[in-house]
Amino acid sequence: MEQKRRRPLRGVTLRLALCALLTGLILLVAVFAPLLTPYDPYAQDMSAALQAPSAAHLLGTDTYGRDVLSRVIMGARTSVFSSLALVAIICVGGSFLGVLCGWLGGKVDTVVMRLSDLFLAFPGMVFAIAVAGLIGGGMVNAVIALAAISWPKYTRLARGQTLAVKSAPYITAAVMANNTPLQIIFRHILPNIAGPLLVTAALDIGTMMMELAGLSFLNLGAQPPTAEWGSMMSKGRSMIQTSPWVVLGPGFAIFLTVLVFNFLGDTLRDYLDPKRRGVRSE
Amino acid sequence: MAELLEVRQVSRRFYKGRSLVTAVNGVSFSLGRGEVLGIVGESGSGKTTLIKMVTRLLEADEGEILLEGEDITRAAGAGLRKARRQMQLVFQTPQDSFDPRQTLGRGILEGMVNNGVPRREAERRLPELLRQCGLSPDYARRYPYQVSGGECQRAAIARAVAVEPALLICDEATSALDVTVQAQVMALLEQLRRERGMAILFICHDLALVQQFCHRVLVLHRGKVVEEGTPDQVILHPKSDYTRTLVDAAL
Repeated sequence: MEQKRRRPLRGVTLRLALCALLTGLILLVAVFAPLLTPYDPYAQDMSAALQAPSAAHLLGTDTYGRDVLSRVIMGARTSVFSSLALVAIICVGGSFLGVLCGWLGGKVDTVVMRLSDLFLAFPGMVFAIAVAGLIGGGMVNAVIALAAISWPKYTRLARGQTLAVKSAPYITAAVMANNTPLQIIFRHILPNIAGPLLVTAALDIGTMMMELAGLSFLNLGAQPPTAEWGSMMSKGRSMIQTSPWVVLGPGFAIFLTVLVFNFLGDTLRDYLDPKRRGVRSE
Repeated sequence: MAELLEVRQVSRRFYKGRSLVTAVNGVSFSLGRGEVLGIVGESGSGKTTLIKMVTRLLEADEGEILLEGEDITRAAGAGLRKARRQMQLVFQTPQDSFDPRQTLGRGILEGMVNNGVPRREAERRLPELLRQCGLSPDYARRYPYQVSGGECQRAAIARAVAVEPALLICDEATSALDVTVQAQVMALLEQLRRERGMAILFICHDLALVQQFCHRVLVLHRGKVVEEGTPDQVILHPKSDYTRTLVDAAL
């Protein structure tokens, strides 16, 4: 019986280890990008423009003769880090507001919730385009634009979770144990609502990466010559029939990275569910 | 000497939709040290609202609550912390009363540490406390979902008595347990009461348990006290029609 109950723990832990390994690999590529690129990702060589993949250029070259593989590796830095920064901002900020609304209720709750309704009423991407258009292009502005429209999701989720947890007897027990409101939030509420928030955040890394790529695709994100997957696809879109490798390289990079982060999100959900973890070994 | 707990004419009203409902209406009672007072009444009779007001989880609209002679009706800050140390709650659903992400030991230690017991001292006391409540010390390392309802309720009682309260409030603490476990938990409560001289406010549906365990009984109906007396008076010779209905239904 004991053996049977422990087995799922191993499965989920194994999956989590695999996800951590893949995520770590992506992060390592992003961090050490300048050391890993076989060529200078910004060096133009018009004589080598639009070369098909070969031993010299594994993913071919683009219209300016730049090595696509080098640009994909260098692009990991911009794409991955900006997505992580964006998700961190909206997850931490949004959740903080949500927990505050759920715990305090009253006017704070009403004002923040109506404000989030206001932001949710705008078509997301159109609003982001408007914001990016207003404050100008560039990766930082794209992150600000997407953060401005994406926080309500976390606020609503954290608020709902806080409300559900707040009425649980163990919170009443925590009040009776003379915990301060901050102790209750940090010791009992946040750990119990962190699961859904972390899963949403992990799944959002992929979505945000695609939205940032979308803004870059519309020239509202990374500006040339910055290597960024979305803008690389944008620049190469007219050549998809003649030189598909220009688009396929960054396209596959987005696809694989989003897949890994989604896999991480699903595995985290399983791992963080206390009822799924089974009996701990003594 | 002042009673341990005195509740004077407390009332609480709620809005249910647009209509104002009086959940507790001018209830008064007192409780001496080491005494067990049973509160019975059907669902919605105001039992839970009443104990929430006593523990200050809810504000009373009217009336006064005195603990050891001190008015705690509007107590805040240090006054409220002092009052909460003196009274502890045992809940109906033991497994939900412990944080699912924390071990039972951590849950028990929390109240002790927050109430000024140094952590090392609290950790030193923990095994003995668990033993007193009929659990082996290794239960401190278990999670709420790893123990049975009865074991978890014992841990909840250990948590409540850990801060050495003068008053233990059991909110239907035995109704989620099966009969044999119920008897064990009742025996434990009686033993702890004798050893520590705690008063117990015992909210319960089971009249047989109330008759066996309580010194006095309060019958609540629609937020009002309809009868008060010893269990024999109230259960064997009920005066009010409502108590009679309640007793007949139980039989």
